[in-house]
Formats: sequence, structure tokens, C-alpha cells
Amino acid sequence: MKKTYKMIDLDCANCAAKMEAAIKKLDGVTDAAVSFMTQKITIEADDARFDAIVKEAVKICKKVEPDCEIVVK
Amino acid sequence: MTKKQKKMLLRIVVSAALFLLLEILGVEGWLGLALYLIPYGIIGWDVLRRAVHNIVNGQVFDENFLMAVATVGAFGCGEYPEGVAVMLFYQVGELFQNVAVARSRKSISALMDIRPDYANVERDGQLCQVDPDEVAVGDIIVIKPGERVPLDGVVTEGSSSLDTAALTGESMPRDVEAGQDVISGCINLSGLLRVKVSKPFGESTVAKILDLVENSASKKAKAEHFITKFARYYTPAVVLAALALAILPPLLGMGPFGMWVRRALIFLVVSCPCALVISIPLSFFGGIGGASKQGILVKGGNYLEALAHAGIVVFDKTGTLTKGTFAVSEVCPKGMEREELLTLAALAEQWSDHPISKSIRAAAPAQLDLSRASGAEEIAGHGVKAVVDGHTVWAGNAKLMELAGIAYDESRGPVGTVVHVATDWGYAGRIVVADQVKEGSDQALRDLKAAGVRKTVMLTGDAQAVGEAVGRQLGLDEVHAGLLPGDKVDRVEQLLAAKNPNEQLVFVGDGINDAPVLSRADIGVAMGAMGSDAAIEAADIVLMDDDLGKLPVAVRIARKTLNIVHQNIAFALGIKFLVLALSAVGLANMWMAVFADVGVSVIAILNASRMLKAK
Repeated sequence: MKKTYKMIDLDCANCAAKMEAAIKKLDGVTDAAVSFMTQKITIEADDARFDAIVKEAVKICKKVEPDCEIVVK
Repeated sequence: MTKKQKKMLLRIVVSAALFLLLEILGVEGWLGLALYLIPYGIIGWDVLRRAVHNIVNGQVFDENFLMAVATVGAFGCGEYPEGVAVMLFYQVGELFQNVAVARSRKSISALMDIRPDYANVERDGQLCQVDPDEVAVGDIIVIKPGERVPLDGVVTEGSSSLDTAALTGESMPRDVEAGQDVISGCINLSGLLRVKVSKPFGESTVAKILDLVENSASKKAKAEHFITKFARYYTPAVVLAALALAILPPLLGMGPFGMWVRRALIFLVVSCPCALVISIPLSFFGGIGGASKQGILVKGGNYLEALAHAGIVVFDKTGTLTKGTFAVSEVCPKGMEREELLTLAALAEQWSDHPISKSIRAAAPAQLDLSRASGAEEIAGHGVKAVVDGHTVWAGNAKLMELAGIAYDESRGPVGTVVHVATDWGYAGRIVVADQVKEGSDQALRDLKAAGVRKTVMLTGDAQAVGEAVGRQLGLDEVHAGLLPGDKVDRVEQLLAAKNPNEQLVFVGDGINDAPVLSRADIGVAMGAMGSDAAIEAADIVLMDDDLGKLPVAVRIARKTLNIVHQNIAFALGIKFLVLALSAVGLANMWMAVFADVGVSVIAILNASRMLKAK
């Protein structure tokens, strides 16, 4: 499954790169891209673990940039 | 400016004022430390907070951490004013950077401002505005003049002209009337239209385009990957170098600790790779945005990067270089007027649905008295025989002339299908019907060469003579004719195998039947794709309208993007390494270091935002 989420207050391009690298390393993630310009995150991962992965991704982003939020609908 | 940015500006102004006041008063010693900490706190508290937060979370080497160490270090060395000034300058730069990025984001979203806000649906005799998402297939929507077409559909009532500029970059309005398709994203210019919706919003042209452009950022170019990788090693390397610089020389007796620590702090400030990490994706994004403004959709930064290295461009003939419709290209009457010959042929062929007959009818004078002809007889594989004004008329190929026993003009003329016309008093002349070369094709090919394309190749399923004629007319380097659809893939494979290592092979087709070739080429370009889902799916770059002239434009935009990317990499790294070198030998100060960090970022961003206006 591949899903794209909006991000709010992603202010640092280097952080975006760090988030991307960290999320890619999560178990079950096939691909991830954090776009600083569009303020969007795209995650491609196993269907079974998808929700858990998104939760972990949100945590990672918080860790890298405390002000930044992922809008999970 | 956003609220956040305004708040930042206020903090900058207040702490700058306090800082200047302290400078004028010239306080020193412990009192100085206490007083200088006030503007420092005002301007830098969030940097310090984030630095602590990140260390707690195991994220060292982030720019907040580096700035915190550098400024706290300055305070530690007793350089209070410098500590405040560096933080101040850094925040000013960050604010600049924020504003510049926000502006680029905004102008990109303005480019992509084709999302319809509402659709007018008639319910119980009343027009009401609803979200396009809620409209079902088969519903009738009403589009008033000045409104955006919200969904794809077929006009059931009314006629108007549509402005397609937002989709195709083409400023010429397109006329529509009942029975014709309309595409979401266009603007209705003149008349009221009733449209029967043919696709849900999620599958509409607008939704597809928006999706494609927004997702293009997730397909990163090599240059972007390089920068991300580089950033991962650069920062730790510089920090380690700073550490070595602070410790080793003093231990070797090359001067006091204080001096070397200050030099090391400068290293830390320079170690942030932000200028690159922001400006490179921004350049690609700007290039993609600028291209989509021209009706060129690029599916990712990687394709834009590849297009800049386009060396071989392979074209499909029909629908790409030629219109794919037949038209009369030459009329050679014998013993009669041109009009007369066309009229005779058109009358004789009036019952035929063959594309060639249709094109002859299209070329004939408009008002034909169709009742002049009668007794038409179709002779399969030959042509037709009919009676016009009481005389027998034959219209067809050479075999028909031989069948009728009439001497005809056998000379080789221009390439195309020849229709000979004869009446019972003799040969009347010939009409040549041919596929038409698109206007602008030759110019587009010349522009491609000028833009640096080495070789142009045409592939066609048509006969050798037809292919060669088009190839000569347009000045193509290579023509491969008589190919079956499968052969086209083989040809492209051969060309791929023979190309130079650094160049890319572009295949341009109309997206019909050439999906395998589109995906086999380095870059597949589909043209005339407005409304064609298959083409949008299969290609890497999509030209929304039928204009081949957009291809050289796309190549130019790609080249310009890469130029800016290279400029930014060279500029940012050049300045950073220069300041690093200067500070190692003691010739640089904190100010230069902050400039090398945020100043370079701002300049690189401004340079990258030139792409937004690319033509």
C-alpha cells in the first residue's frame, strides 16, 4: 500500500532528509519519501503493518523536528 | 508573512536593538555576560531548546545543535557580543530562507491552481453548488461563463469556447458544442454549458494532473540523492575536523587553546549542508512547476534530470510528426480546372466512407449538388465507378485505370495515395492524398538539434517511400519504416545499445499502441495526452496538447534546471570549503561563517527560484 500524508511546519530541509532515511529503515517499509517542497510524506509499506508503520513514522518525525506534524486522516 | 514569521521578525528587532544598546554602552565582565544573555535568550531560546531536545533523542549534528555549541562556545571564550551577533545573524538568515521557501511554495501552488472548488448540480429544479467529489457519473452539471469545468464529461446542451491554458499552456480557446467532450480544469469563457459527467472526480483529468505533479517530488533525481548522501557524511566530518582543530594544534604547542577553539567553532557553523539540501530539490521542483505551466507534465525530478542529457530522440511518425489524418496534398487536373476535378471525384465518391474519399470530399467545393451523380458502384481494391451528369466517371488507383482501359499519368509524384480520375471522354487527372506533416514539426526538430540533441530517428509502420519522404521533409537523421509494433521495441533496443554512455534516449509517441516502447526508452514522452489516461499512465513526461514544439521547451527547461543545480552545488561547496580553509589558518571570523551557512542558503534558494519563471 502506498499513501501520502500532509505535513505541517516542516521547516528544515535537512530534517526532511533525516526523517526519510529513518522511515526507510523501518521494518516493512518498501519506500518512503519526504518532500520538503510539497510538505508531504509518501510511505509505501506492507498492508499488514501499515498502520503501525505510520504511527512509528509520526514518532520519528516528532523526534527529528519537534514542531512538525503529520496529518493522519 | 505568516504569524510565525512575524513573531520571529519581532524577536529579531527586539534583540538587535538590545544588542546595539549594549554595544554602545560597552559593558564588560560579569555584568556584560548577564546583560548580553538577555538578547541572546530572546533570539536563541528556540534554537537551544531544539538542540537539547535533539540530543535527548539521539539526533546530534543538527543545525540547532551546531549553532548552540558555536554560540555558547563564543560566550565561553568571553566573546559575548559575537555569541549574540552570530545567533542573530543566523536567525535573520533562517527567516529569509523561510520566506523565500514559502514564496516558492506559493508560486508553485499558484501554477497548479486548477482544482475546481465546486460544481453546479441541478436538484429539484434548483441549481446548487456541491463539492466536485460528490457528483456522480451521469449527473448533469451546469457550467456558467467564467467558471472552471469541475469534472470531465460530454456537453449535452449549449456551446461555448474553453480556455485550456491552465492545462496545455495553449492560449487559443477551444470551441465546444453539444456532443463534444469537455475536460476538467478548463475555464468556460462564453456560453452556458450543460455537461453529463463521465468520470468521478478522483479519475478526472484535473485530479490526475494534480496527483502527478504533486507526486513528482517523490521521484528524486540523482543529484538530490547525492546531496542527501553527501549531507550525511559532510556534517559529521566537519564536526570531527572541528574537534581535531580545537584539540590537536594546542597540544602540539601551536598556540593557546582559546584561539583554536574559536577557529573550531567557525567550523561548526559552516558544517550545516542546508544550502544544498534546500536549493537542489527546490530547483527540480521549480523546473517541474515551470514546465507544467507550459502544459508539460514531468513525473519526477529524475526524468527532468535525464531529459537534460537527451542525446537521441526517437519519434513515432503517425500522430506525432504527422497528423494521422489524410488530406489532399496535390491536385493535377488534365484538361479541366482543379475545382472541376475535385468536384467530379467527390461526387463519384460521395457514398464511400473510406478515409481517402472523405478527404477528397473535404477538399471539394462546399456546395455540391449530390443528385448530379448516380449509379455508383464500388470496385473493391480498385475504386469507384459512378455516373455524373450522364457521363461515367472512374475514381481509383492505377489498377482501376487499367481495368477501364484508360491511359493515365504514371509518373512518380509526391508520396501518398494517388486517386486517378477518368471520365468516358478520357483521363481527367489525379489527386494525391497523404498524411499531413504537423505544422511546427520541422521547427521543433530544428529546435531540438539546437538544444543539443545529437540524433533524431523516426519509426513508422508505413511503407518505406512514405517514411523516407516525411524524413526528408523534416530533416530526420534516421528513418526506419515498415515496422510492426513489436519491431519498434527491437529498434529502440538497438538504439539503446548503440548510444553513448552519458546520453539518454527519448521516445516520443502519441500514447496509442506504443506503451511498450514508451516504457522501454530512457524517457517516454506522450503527446496530445489531454484526456487520454493510457498515455498519462505509460509516459514519464506528458505533453498535454498536440504541439511537438513543447519538446524542445522541455529539454531547455531540463537543461536550465540542471545548470542551476550545478551552480548551487559548486557555489555552496566552494564558499563553505573556502571559509573552512580560511578559518583553519585563522583568516575567517564568525561572520563569514554565518554567511557561509545561511547567507549561501538564501542565495542558493533565490537562484533556484529562477526556475519558477523558466520559459
